[in-house]
Amino acid sequence: MSNDIDEQLRAALRRVDPEQGFAQRVLARIEVEQRQRRPRFATRLPAWLPTRARWLPVAVAASALLVAVLLNARQVRHERQGLEARQQLIDALRVAGEKLDLAYRAVNTESPPTASDDTAPGDTGA
Amino acid sequence: MKDAACITSESLDRARAGDAQAFAVLVRAHQRMVYSLALRMLADRHEAEDVAQEAFLQLHRRLLLIQSATHLVFWLRKVTANLAIDRLRSAPRHEVLPLDDEPGGMAADSSTDPLLQRQMRGLVAALPPGARAVVLLRYQEDLDPTEIAATLDMSINTVKSHLRRSLAELRKNFDAQQPMTGNSPDSSNTEGVATALGVSENRQS
Repeated sequence: MSNDIDEQLRAALRRVDPEQGFAQRVLARIEVEQRQRRPRFATRLPAWLPTRARWLPVAVAASALLVAVLLNARQVRHERQGLEARQQLIDALRVAGEKLDLAYRAVNTESPPTASDDTAPGDTGA
Repeated sequence: MKDAACITSESLDRARAGDAQAFAVLVRAHQRMVYSLALRMLADRHEAEDVAQEAFLQLHRRLLLIQSATHLVFWLRKVTANLAIDRLRSAPRHEVLPLDDEPGGMAADSSTDPLLQRQMRGLVAALPPGARAVVLLRYQEDLDPTEIAATLDMSINTVKSHLRRSLAELRKNFDAQQPMTGNSPDSSNTEGVATALGVSENRQS
């Protein structure tokens, strides 16, 4: 028996095998971890899609949402402009109506019919 | 026939590309080293299994960072030692029990006494975590102080100091446990310390 502490330590600390199936248990843990980390929507996508392409639906949905918001904003702006134009037209028509009314009254009150106006031309009254 | 390093290198490339079977080959190639390190650090088979699995899980997450088969071994030792040290520090145990027979372990070396080995393992398990890691990397993994320093992020002087003090402590405790058997390593023998420290000194010089 060797009395050298180096040899004693090397013999005592020699490598040992883990229990059987260690690699399988590691792979199983990796599988569980990957399943937990994977986003849910990605699990519904076909497996043949590359990992990067799995974000494509999100990008498409986000773009569609952005387009819808922009179109809606444009529509709202047009409607507001239309309402303003309508209001301006109504105001213009009201002002024009008032002016016409004033003109009509002025015409009617400016030259009231007189008696001489009833005399026929060429009539001397003799 | 391809050698182990070549197979590991090929498996590493394939594992990086997402091949689970190639990763399993890597696990099988290094499970003995990782598990043994964790077992000797923690002196508990269940915790050792858990730490060894965690080391391989971390490897799977960081496969792209591994540059070569040599780097893989270095990385696994480093991560396993640090995981075990963290676990020991987060839940320090009050009682350290030496492990008896290991399942699947090598046949006992006929030149050494199994009882002596068991006592030696118990003494190593009683060392502080950092010193224990240094002794394990020196005597289980056969690394020199420079490599141990790189693995544990310590200075070489710290590693040498750990080794010197640990060997003195081990020898003292071993002598105290076996005063009459005559099995103890020769306490006047300084060859062990010299060998433990001298390897790197020779390599460095």
